[in-house]
Parts: sequence; structure tokens; C-alpha cells
Amino acid sequence: MIAKKVRCSKCGKIITITGSSGEVKKVNCPDCGNKGKVTFKKYLTNEDIAIHVSNLTKLYGNLKAVNDISFTVQKGEVFAFLGPNGAGKTTTVEMIESIRKPSSGKIKILGKDISTSFKEIREKIGILPQEFHSFERLKVRETLEYYSKVFENHADIDEIIDSINLGDEQNKLYRNLSGGLKQRVGVAISLVNDPDIIFLDEPTTGLDPKARREVWDVIANLRDRGKTIFLTTHYMEEAEYLADHIAIIHKGKIIAEGSLDELIDRYGEGSILRIKNCKTKGIIDALKDYGYYVFSENNGDIAVKIDYKEKVMNILSLLKQECVDYESIDIRRSNLEEIFLRLTGAKLSDGGS
Amino acid sequence: MNPKFIFHDFYASLKQWIRSIGTVFWTILFPILLILIFGAIFSGANDISYDVVIQNIDDGGFSQEFIKIIDNTSILKVEIIDNNEDIKTYMIDNDKSAGLRIPSDFSEKIQQSFYDENITVNLTFLSDPSDQTTAPIIKNIISNILSGYNKGITDGRVVAGMDTESILGEEFEFIDFFVPGIIGFTIMTSMIYGSIERNTKYRKDGILRKLLTMPVSRADWIISKMLFMLVLSFISTFVIITVGILVWGLSIKINIFFFILVISTSFMFSGMGMIIGRFVKEEETADMAGGAITFPMMFLAGTFFPLEQMPAFLQSIAQVLPLYYVNEGLRNAMIYNDMDKTLFFTGFVLIFAIVFFVLGVFLTKWKED
Repeated sequence: MIAKKVRCSKCGKIITITGSSGEVKKVNCPDCGNKGKVTFKKYLTNEDIAIHVSNLTKLYGNLKAVNDISFTVQKGEVFAFLGPNGAGKTTTVEMIESIRKPSSGKIKILGKDISTSFKEIREKIGILPQEFHSFERLKVRETLEYYSKVFENHADIDEIIDSINLGDEQNKLYRNLSGGLKQRVGVAISLVNDPDIIFLDEPTTGLDPKARREVWDVIANLRDRGKTIFLTTHYMEEAEYLADHIAIIHKGKIIAEGSLDELIDRYGEGSILRIKNCKTKGIIDALKDYGYYVFSENNGDIAVKIDYKEKVMNILSLLKQECVDYESIDIRRSNLEEIFLRLTGAKLSDGGS
Repeated sequence: MNPKFIFHDFYASLKQWIRSIGTVFWTILFPILLILIFGAIFSGANDISYDVVIQNIDDGGFSQEFIKIIDNTSILKVEIIDNNEDIKTYMIDNDKSAGLRIPSDFSEKIQQSFYDENITVNLTFLSDPSDQTTAPIIKNIISNILSGYNKGITDGRVVAGMDTESILGEEFEFIDFFVPGIIGFTIMTSMIYGSIERNTKYRKDGILRKLLTMPVSRADWIISKMLFMLVLSFISTFVIITVGILVWGLSIKINIFFFILVISTSFMFSGMGMIIGRFVKEEETADMAGGAITFPMMFLAGTFFPLEQMPAFLQSIAQVLPLYYVNEGLRNAMIYNDMDKTLFFTGFVLIFAIVFFVLGVFLTKWKED
């Protein structure tokens, strides 16, 4: 049995619950009666593991591009490997794909060591390399047929074309496709051998928001079909939108790992209620007197940390009671960008340096 | 080896090639243009030369006097050879492009012509057919000297004339010299640039990284690409020869050495492209590096002009250029039918091919460090 402490989202009471690996348990708050569910983390068996990386290191001279990292990717999940440019993402994924040789460490895919069984493993994985461009003068269908015929096991090309929504483009030359369509063809190519695990290295880099969203839909659809997806990205929105599990890499080290909720719980500031353009003096002290964690921001806004729902109602009542004059109120949850900033002191979008 | 992949990759390469107008132009149309343009230019070309070999079989005074006239011109440098020598062999061995044979009855006939207006005598002008720029000039100068000589002795009536003979026993024209050069040049450019594309563009585009993670061996990939490149080489060669025959009446001999040369040239320059692609990783820079190698080689290796017309130091440079051995090998195999020289040059091309291709394959890496 596993013991887990949870905080009531309504009144903030800490409750201790016991359960087993993977169990979902109903909880009633003894103080306010608030009802909720608690999911106990599933402890993985070998059967559940798609990729297992342990103590992986890559040295270039004295530079440790990847520094003793370990992580596990569960079957059927979207695992986002998130980090700024130059953090070591592609080096790591290319070691897993057997394109680069690790300096030390072990990599297992579907329970098999890639250093001895890669020939067997490569039939079961599909790969979209970073900045991939296929043959300019082959048509989309011809391209898929080209890559498909290389494998012993191949998926039905028509099915792939349908699933990636490439029906209208199948007879167009690759060179004539837009950036978004080229990336979708890249994803389609990674499916030609009907793989169990798909590696997508920065699949939306350089795409406009609409094209990016289309690629996300394709990836989400693959996850729904039970594929395991190893997604390398430096876009936090991409990881937030798609990932079941996120590992944040910075300067060759994994600095945080877990589901989005876990990362926010562990490293985020929770939710923040922001009172914009507050003109009433003394409100900060009043809020502090009531025991709230308050901090004023440079632009004159006031921010209050919210760790359970009830606090929001209490603050709103207080503002009304004190006749506080303000422009607007918003509540925002911590995101990966903030977590990265907090952990590294750098912005994810600035390259982490 | 995976024949299924090789066939399949070959077919995909062919489709892409046919769809690439630029590549088709450089492989087929560009050499045709060169043949047509240079063929037209050099069909009536003039140039300057200095050396002329003279063999005087006549022992009379008129021939001695005629040689003196030639020797007195500042343009021609006379070299008299012994009567026992075979003038053609001497010219070939000593790389002389023009020679003159004065017949044994020259003085006697000139003397007789003073009394008999119907008596004439002909000198024989011998030339290297591959040299269509130097030899015609020498011939022209000697013709002018002959006219002056005729005028001097008979007041203009033609007594002394001139026949023309090739030192190779056959009449060759500039196009015979030019077509093998164009074949060598075309194979060189398409192999080097094709190889560079596979090793830089495909690397940049992630295709090589993709292939690394697929059940494709490097050997299968190289075999399929080489097969395709060989087919391209033969298509280009066939087109060039066909145009040469149809437009310029080219006459060639196809033998086993011709095939060996085309194949080994393809391997040699593919290897060279691989080496460039290994060290120069940016696509544009690699193209420039390809140009830096192919262009000087094109001009210095006797593709368009006979080596003999170039200064001595440039001729020495040519002797270390692989394309020179390809050009000379093809000329001797296809046109001059000189088996000794064909063997000599083919041997060099084979050695170059093995060295460059093995080095290229050895240096080409799919795996990243």
C-alpha cells in the first residue's frame, strides 16, 4: 500500500489517503465535505516500459553535452523532452535512435538493449529527424512507398494517408508542399512500418501557429491510437498540449520530470490571482493581515497566491467589503515557462542561457 | 546485399532525375551544346605553331634551297630528320604536330619543269589530326611559301604542290579529338556533383540520419547509387556519341576498354565527390569546392584543347590530373585505336578509380560523432 497526502481544493485541508499502484480512489474532505478523486502513481513493470534510459552521458572533448541522465517512457504515452536549443535534446534522442554513440550509459527499447539488438528494434520504431526534408522530386505517395518498402513490416499506405489527412496531397511533389504539410509527410513517413514507438524531433519548429496546431492534432491522434510518442520540443505550449509526461533538460541535465500537474505542483507557484490597476491604498496590508501571500508587481498590479479554490471567494468578498477600486481580476495557473524560469533563472524561449 | 532495396532506390533516383530539369540539362543538353559550339568554332580554326619536322629524301640543290626559305621565316622552326627515320613514328614519339616530306625527285622535277610546262612535283604535309589548331596554320604557311617559291622559279605557274597525310594513317578531325573529352568532362561533373548532393544535401535534410535508423546498409545504398550513376554516365555517353555521329560524322570504335574507362571514370569521380562531401559539409560550399576542382581540370586536362598548345608548366600540371588520363584513354580507345596507349591510360584511370572510390567510401560516415 502507498500513503499519499493531498490538499482539499476547497478548504485547503491536508488529507492522508492510502491506496495501491495505479488505483483511483474517491476522497471526501472531513472538514468541508468536498468530494474528489485521487490517482495513485502506477509503478511500472517491464511490460509497461517503452524506453528506459539509465545514466546516459555524451562527451565532446571536455564538454558534457548529455550529463548522466536517466528516465523512463511508458508505453502509450506522449513523452515530451523539453528544453531550450542546445540543451542536449537532439543528442539524447539521436543516441536513443542509435545515430550517435553514447560515451556511457544504457538504453533499452521495448526491453532490449539498443547496443546489441538495434536491428530488431528498428523495425518497431519510427523516426522523424530534426529539420527533416525528404526527396524533393518524389510525390507524397511515392515517398511513403519508398520508405515503406525498406521495412519487412509495412503499414497500409492508404491508411497512413487517411490518418494524416494527406489525401489531397498524395500526388503532389514533396518540394511543392507547405512547411506544415512537409512535416505531416515526415510524421507519415515515420509510420510506414507501423511502429510501436515514434520519435518526433522538433516536429513543429519553424511552422506557423495554424500548421503547428495541425501537426499537434496528428500527434494527438497517434496517441489515441495507442502509439508511444517521444516528442522533442522547445515549445512549452506543445508539451503542455500534448504530453502525458514531461522531462525538462537544461545544459545536459534533466532538471525536472513528471506530468504537467506534478511539475506545476512541485515547482510552480500554484495559481495566482492578479488584481489589475488597484487604486485603493493599504489593500496589500489588509490582505496580508488575513494571512494571504501577497506581492505587488512593478506595474502596480497586486498578485495573491491561491492554493485552494475557497481563497478566491474569500478574496473577492474582502475586496467588496473594503470597497477596493480596481480595473479587473484574472486568475492564472503556473506554466512550464515559469517553472523553467524558476528552475534555471533563464527563459525557455531565450535558449536557456 | 538487398537487391530489392537496390532496385527500389534506383527506380526512385531515376524518377527524381527525370523530374529535375537542371540535372537533365547538365547531363545531356550541356554536352550537346558544347559539341555543337566548339565543333563549329574549331572546324575552321587557326592558331600558331613553331615546330616543323622536315625529311628531305632529295639530294639536289632545289630542295636545300626550299628548306632554307622555310628556315628563314621567323614563324617556323625547322628540324631536319634523317632519311632512315620513319617520319610518322618520329612525329608521334616526339609530339610533333606538323611535318614535311620532300620527295627524292624534287630537284629533278623542278629542273625538268623549266623545259616542260606539264611537270609538277608534290611535297607531303604530315599532321597530327588531333591538333586542329596548330597543324592547319603550319600547312597554310608552307602553302604560302610554296606559292612564293613557284612564283620565283616559274613566274607563278604551279610546279611544286602539296599533299596532306595524317601521321596516324587516318584522317581525323577536331570533333574526333573533342568528343572523348566531352564524355570525360560530362561524367566528371555529373559524378562529382551527384556525389556531393548525396553527401551534403541528404545529410542536411536528415535523409542519411533517417536511413541510419532503417534496415538499409550503407553498402546497399552506395551500390544502388553507383548503379544509377553508371546508367547516367552511359546515357550521357550515348547521347554525346549519337550527336557526334549525326551532326559531325564522328567515327568511333567501341571496345572493352571504352566500357572499362566509362565505368572506372564514374567510380573515380564519385569517390572524389564523396571526399569533398566528407570535408566540406555545407551544401553551397561543397558545390563551390566541386567547381574549384572540376573547372580547372576541365581546361587543363586537354578536354577542349590539345595539351601541346599549352605552356610547358601547364602541360606538367595536366599530367597529374585524373581527367587527363580519362580523356587520353578514351581518345586512344575510341578514336586512335592505339592499344598501347589505351592500356597505359586505362591502367592509370583504374588506379585512380580504386584509390578515390575506396577512400571516398571509407571516409563517408553516416553515423554522427
